[in-house]
Amino acid sequence: MNWTRRQALWAGGGIGAAALLSACGGGTDAASSPADSAGGTPRKGGTLRIGALGRASAITRDPHGVQGNESDYLIIALVYDTLTAPGVKDNTVGRLASAWKPSDDLKTWRFTIAEGAAFHDGSPVTADDVVWSLRRLRNTPAGPGRLPGIKAENITADGKETVVLVSDDANAELPLLTRLSTFVLKKDTADKEVAKAPGTGPFKLDWYRNGNARLLRNDKWHGGQVHLDAIEVTMFESPQAMANALLGGQIDVASNVGAVAARTAASRKDIQLVRRPDDMAMPIVMRTADGPFADVKVREAMKLVVDREAMVKQVLSGYGTVANDILGTGDPAYAKDIPQRRRDLAKAKKLLEEAKFDFSKTYELITTEDIPGLAESATLFANQAREADVKIKVVKQESGAFYDKTWLKGELYTNYWGTNDSVVFFASKTMVTGAGQNEAGWSDSQFDGTYRKVIGTADKKARAAALRELQQIEHEKSGYLLWGMADGIDLAGSKVRNLPKLPGYGRVQFENVWLAR
Amino acid sequence: MSEAAIEGAEAAAAPAAASALRRSLRAVGRTGVVLAKRALMLAVLLAVVFAAIELLPGDAASATSERGESAADTAARRRLLGLDRPVWERFPDWMTALPTGDLGTSARGEHVTDLLAAPFPNTLLLGATAFAVTLAAALALGCWAALRPGGTADRIVGFASGIALALPEFVVSIGLLLVLSLWTGWLPAVTLTAPDGSPASWTMLVMPVLALTVPQIGWNARIVRGALADQAAAPHVAAARLDGLSPRRVLLRHALPGAWPAIATGAATSTGMLLGGAVVVETLFNYPGLGTVLSGAVADRDTPVIAGVVACTGAVISLVLLCADLVRARTLGARP
Repeated sequence: MNWTRRQALWAGGGIGAAALLSACGGGTDAASSPADSAGGTPRKGGTLRIGALGRASAITRDPHGVQGNESDYLIIALVYDTLTAPGVKDNTVGRLASAWKPSDDLKTWRFTIAEGAAFHDGSPVTADDVVWSLRRLRNTPAGPGRLPGIKAENITADGKETVVLVSDDANAELPLLTRLSTFVLKKDTADKEVAKAPGTGPFKLDWYRNGNARLLRNDKWHGGQVHLDAIEVTMFESPQAMANALLGGQIDVASNVGAVAARTAASRKDIQLVRRPDDMAMPIVMRTADGPFADVKVREAMKLVVDREAMVKQVLSGYGTVANDILGTGDPAYAKDIPQRRRDLAKAKKLLEEAKFDFSKTYELITTEDIPGLAESATLFANQAREADVKIKVVKQESGAFYDKTWLKGELYTNYWGTNDSVVFFASKTMVTGAGQNEAGWSDSQFDGTYRKVIGTADKKARAAALRELQQIEHEKSGYLLWGMADGIDLAGSKVRNLPKLPGYGRVQFENVWLAR
Repeated sequence: MSEAAIEGAEAAAAPAAASALRRSLRAVGRTGVVLAKRALMLAVLLAVVFAAIELLPGDAASATSERGESAADTAARRRLLGLDRPVWERFPDWMTALPTGDLGTSARGEHVTDLLAAPFPNTLLLGATAFAVTLAAALALGCWAALRPGGTADRIVGFASGIALALPEFVVSIGLLLVLSLWTGWLPAVTLTAPDGSPASWTMLVMPVLALTVPQIGWNARIVRGALADQAAAPHVAAARLDGLSPRRVLLRHALPGAWPAIATGAATSTGMLLGGAVVVETLFNYPGLGTVLSGAVADRDTPVIAGVVACTGAVISLVLLCADLVRARTLGARP
C-alpha cells in the first residue's frame, strides 16, 4: 500500500559490498536454509532484536497517521490491536474483534469485541473506545481511503461489546478494510498523548526514541500467550546496513531486507532466510483509455511478449514467482486454475498485425528506481519486446516527477504495489471505472458488473463464482501486465522460531515468535 | 623612584588603557560585522533551499501521500500543510519564526525541532570528533613530512595523502566495514541507539569517524605540508635555520605560526566536507544523525525539515569559518 519511496542512494555501495562479500564467502548451495524455523515447543523468555526499515525524517507516532516507515508500523502494530488482521487460510482473521456478521443486504456489519480485551493500564475495551478510534481514523486526511464507503457517523456502538459499521453500498468484503489501520486507542485520547497512549496489543511500550523502541510483553493479552520478554526495534535507513547488523550479530531479525541482502547472506549457514511469497507486485501498466495500447489485442500481445521466467530469474534474483496478469496473488481466492500465460512471440506478432500496430515507432516505458529491481524490469522487458520487433525505450524518472507526471496518466509505465492479499482490493482501487487509482484508465462494463456482483452477493458459492469470473476478465483485458511477484525477504538468526510468513503488512506479526535455546 | 616619575607612568598608562579598550571595541565591532555577514549568507542560503525544493517536481503532499489516497485527499493535505500558498509567502513565515527556535512542522505533522533534537547533537559529536582527529593527524603528518623535505617520510606522506583524498567516503566505509567488522568482528557493524537517542557504545563511533576523516586527513596533510614549505622560504625562518637552531625548533617555533592562516582555512573548509560526507556515512553505518534525516526529507520534499537541517549545519559551518577568519586576522595582524 504505502511502500516508502526510498531514494536509491544505497544502490552503489550496497551492491559493491554484496559482491565483495559473496566473492569472499565462497558460497555453495545458496538455497538451503539452515534451521527449521517452526519446530519445537515454544520457550518463554528472551529479547528479540528486530531491524526494520525507516527514515528519521518520516517518523510518525500516530497510529492513525500516514506511516511511511515500516519500523513505525511494526511498533504500532505490536502495541495496538486492529479489529481484524491478515490471516493464512482465511484472508481476514479476528484480532480485537472476535466475530463479525453482516445484515442481509451486506451493508450493516456488527463486530463483537473479543472477550477479556483490555488496555495496558487494565481498563477493559468498550465499544465506545472502538467507535471513537475508528471515527478518528476516518476523519484523518487519508481516512476516506482507509475506510471507503463508511461515513464517520455510520460507525456506532451497540451496548458495550458491539460496534456497528454501516456501509453506503453493499460490501461482502468489508471486514477486509479493517485489517490494516483500525488501531484502537482509549476514547478521548488527546492528540498530544497519542504517542504514549496505552494500547491493547501483545506488547507494551517501554521506551521510544527516534524510530527505535523497546517493547515489553503484555502478560494479559486477550489474543493468547506471548512468549518473548521483550522486543527491541532498531530503525535502519538502508537494507544493507540492516543486513550487516544481522551478519555481525547486532540484531536477530532483519525484516523485509530484500534480495540483495539475501544473496549476501546465502552462504552463511547460521542465518535463516525467510521468503514470504506474493509480497510485491511490479506490474507494467498499459493505458487502456487511449493511445497505442487502447486496443485489447495490443495489450494481449505485450502480455505474450514478456518472458516471465527470465524476469523472475534476472530481476528478482529468483526470489519470486511467475504471475498471470491478475493482481492480488496472495488472496486465498486467487484463481490458480486460469491457465498460465506463456511467451508466444508468433501469436503476439499476429495479434499486433491484426491491430495494425505501428512497428516503426519507438514507445517510451517510464520507470523509477523507487524499489530495487523496478528499473531493471523495464530494461529487460524492453529487450524482450525487441525480439517481437516492438521498439521500447526505457525512460527513468525521479520519484517525484513520476507521481506528478506519469502515474495514472502515462501510456506505458512500471509501478509497484505492496499489498497483494486481495483481488477485490485491486479491483476496487485500480480497475473499476472511476476508481481513485485507476492506473491504466480502464473502464469495462462487464468487469464493473462482475465487481458489483462480487461485493453484493452474500451467498459464498455464488460470490466465489463471480470472483473467478472477475479474475478471468482481468486476465484477458486489463491494462496490467503482471509478470511476477517478488518475495518479501527476512533474514534471522538461527534461534528465532515462528517468524512471520505473510506478505505485505503481515510481516509485522511477531507476537508468536519465540527464541530457542 | 620619585613621585613625579610615578605620576608620569600613571599618566602614560591611562591613554594606553584607552587605546586597548578602543582596540578591543574595534575587534568586537569587526566580529559583529562578520557575524552579521555570515547570518545574511545563511538567510540567502535558506532562501535558495526553499527555491530549489520548489523547482523539484512534486511536493510534500504528494510525496508523503498514501497509495490509497485520492487526488482530493492529497489536495486537502496540501492545504493543511500550507503548500497551496506561494513560496514567497511560506519562506518569510518560516524565517520570522526561526529566531524563536520554531523550525516549523514536517509533512507528517511532527515538530521539526523534535525531529532534529537527538540527531543534531549526534552529528555534532561525530563531526567534532572527526574534525579533531583530522586536524591532529594532518598536523602530525604534515610536520613529519616537512621536517626533511624530499625525504622518505615526505614522499610517503605525499603519496598516501594523495590517494586518501581521492577516496570517496563510501569506498572507505565499505572497506572499513569488511575488514574491521564482518571479517574480524572487532567493531560493531552499525550504530544501535540507546534509550536516550545517542549511540549505545563509543565503539560504534570509530568506523564512521574513520570513514569521514581518511579523505580529509589526506587533504589537510597536503595543506599543512604546503604551508610549511612556503614558510620555509620566508626570511625569518631561513635566518632561524642559519642561526643553527634544530630543525624541529625551526619548524614548530618559526615556520608553523606563519602557516596557521592557511591551515585554519583548509580545516574550516573541511567542516563542510565532513558534514556533507556525514549524509553518506551515517546511512552506511545507520548512525542516528542529521544525514539520515536530510536524505529522507529531500525525497519527501519536506521543506521545513530540509531548511531546519541546513540552518543547523549552516550555523556550525559559519561558526567554524568565523573562527578561521579570527585565527587569520590574529596571525596576520601580529605581523603588519
